[in-house]
Amino acid sequence: MSRIIVVTSGKGGVGKTTVSSNLGAALAKLNNKVALVDADFGLRNLDLLLGLEERVVYTAIDVLAGECRLAQALVKHKSLNGLVLLPAAQNRNKESVSPDQMKKIIDALAKGYDYIIVDSPAGIELGFRNAIVAAKEALIVTTPEIAAVRDADRVIGLLEAEGVDNIHLIVNRVKPKMVQDNKMMSVEDVLELLGVPLIGVVPDDEKVIVATNKGEPLVIGESESIPGMTFLNIARRLGGEKVPFIDLMNLNENLISRLRRIFGG
Amino acid sequence: MVLETDLAANMTSDVAISPAISHSSQVRLKKEGKNLMLLLPDETDSKGELSWSETWQELKHRLKSREQFWHNGGSVSLVAKDRLLDSRQLHTIAETLKEVELILATVCTNRRQTAVAAATAGYSVEQNKPGEASLNSEAKNPNTSELMAEPLYLRNTIRSGVEVRHPGTIIICGDLNPGGSAIADGDLFVWGRLRGVAHAGSAGNRKSRIMALQMEFTQLRIADQVARAPKVRPESFQPETAFISNKGISLARSDSFGKTYAFSVDGNYWQETNSIKNPKY
Repeated sequence: MSRIIVVTSGKGGVGKTTVSSNLGAALAKLNNKVALVDADFGLRNLDLLLGLEERVVYTAIDVLAGECRLAQALVKHKSLNGLVLLPAAQNRNKESVSPDQMKKIIDALAKGYDYIIVDSPAGIELGFRNAIVAAKEALIVTTPEIAAVRDADRVIGLLEAEGVDNIHLIVNRVKPKMVQDNKMMSVEDVLELLGVPLIGVVPDDEKVIVATNKGEPLVIGESESIPGMTFLNIARRLGGEKVPFIDLMNLNENLISRLRRIFGG
Repeated sequence: MVLETDLAANMTSDVAISPAISHSSQVRLKKEGKNLMLLLPDETDSKGELSWSETWQELKHRLKSREQFWHNGGSVSLVAKDRLLDSRQLHTIAETLKEVELILATVCTNRRQTAVAAATAGYSVEQNKPGEASLNSEAKNPNTSELMAEPLYLRNTIRSGVEVRHPGTIIICGDLNPGGSAIADGDLFVWGRLRGVAHAGSAGNRKSRIMALQMEFTQLRIADQVARAPKVRPESFQPETAFISNKGISLARSDSFGKTYAFSVDGNYWQETNSIKNPKY
């Protein structure tokens, strides 16, 4: 039985698409068959982050219009076997698809894959409804900022009303130094408010921006990066493994103390 | 020792209070004898018509968060009054009820189209002619009814964007998050953290109180009084009660409130009667 997971946040710009692409890649790296679905019609980005833009021929709209078969619209990833993308149409807007159509297409996809990851658009309007209609599970992405957390809270309420009860939280873009200096909400503060179980904490890291611009998910690179490791850990936790959380606070300290040592401090 | 934080400085008396809670502005579930009644809000309600999708959302919310006081497999009477419902909407309601093991049996309506749709779908129909005595005298005459509705017991967290209104006391077993609000004609209990907006005695009862395990509110309102949160966040929290004193809305520790305060009918506020500030033994 495949798992249909929606990645959503309410607020825009918190990292839904980054999480979707990296998590999809991480799951595929762990030998799962993964289909990523871009539900952000009119503002599609997922193909860019995966470096698949030039390979997109058909989109979900073409499948719905009967202009191609579902299998034809799926774009295979260059290096990760088992990772495919169902692109959204860029020349349409969110009103061009209905929740019923979306459910039909995702349910059809579900037959051949272990994981279906749906990248939801920002907001709580029709685009969001389309993204969550088939989902059984949800990953809420938030950053440690009050506006992002407030919107995440709203979205959790809407998901619960829709009967999506299996909800996990990813806190993105955490800056350990700022948390230590009491300038940023801590992960604990976020958890206390939202009251949903945590599945991952991703630090704010330049490597994420570099990887995004290159169109290459972090987990593909040979050299191990901290954000790449956090995405792999999230993928493992989704698979039911108990993986301890990386202590970002001490990591930071170690780095500083290491630097001190180097510079004879 | 009685802790009393005076919030009166932040109070404005002429603040617009939310309109009195109309019985017909919300989806309600009511038990009458053995039957469960589902009351839908009027479409023609003066304060913003609730669209069908909003009504449905609210129904789902109510069914999920409400304590299960019904038996599985129980039958429900839908009281639609003047609301128009087509067969698809009736079907949606029946499906939603089915998810919590309830069966839609009867549809009570004043509208012919709704009655036809319900009869076609196989539900038993009770039809009232418009203008005839309503099925629910309380719903018809909310102003003359002195009695408040039975308390509303909610078992989950009230999240951002959710507003709970009830013409009686509200008990929330969970948090009231920022961006969420609870508005009660009676008292308001939050067995958790109160971080959103809370309004007790919204019909004007100054005797109403707000109780919470942790008072971290955005705004408290009792009757026509409003208080904002103090600028400084306290170091630690204890269960507190908010009430109207002669200085506006005040807070006191909940464990001693009952022993030290009494409602003064002359002043129309809560008064400290039995101070245990300096106990002498």
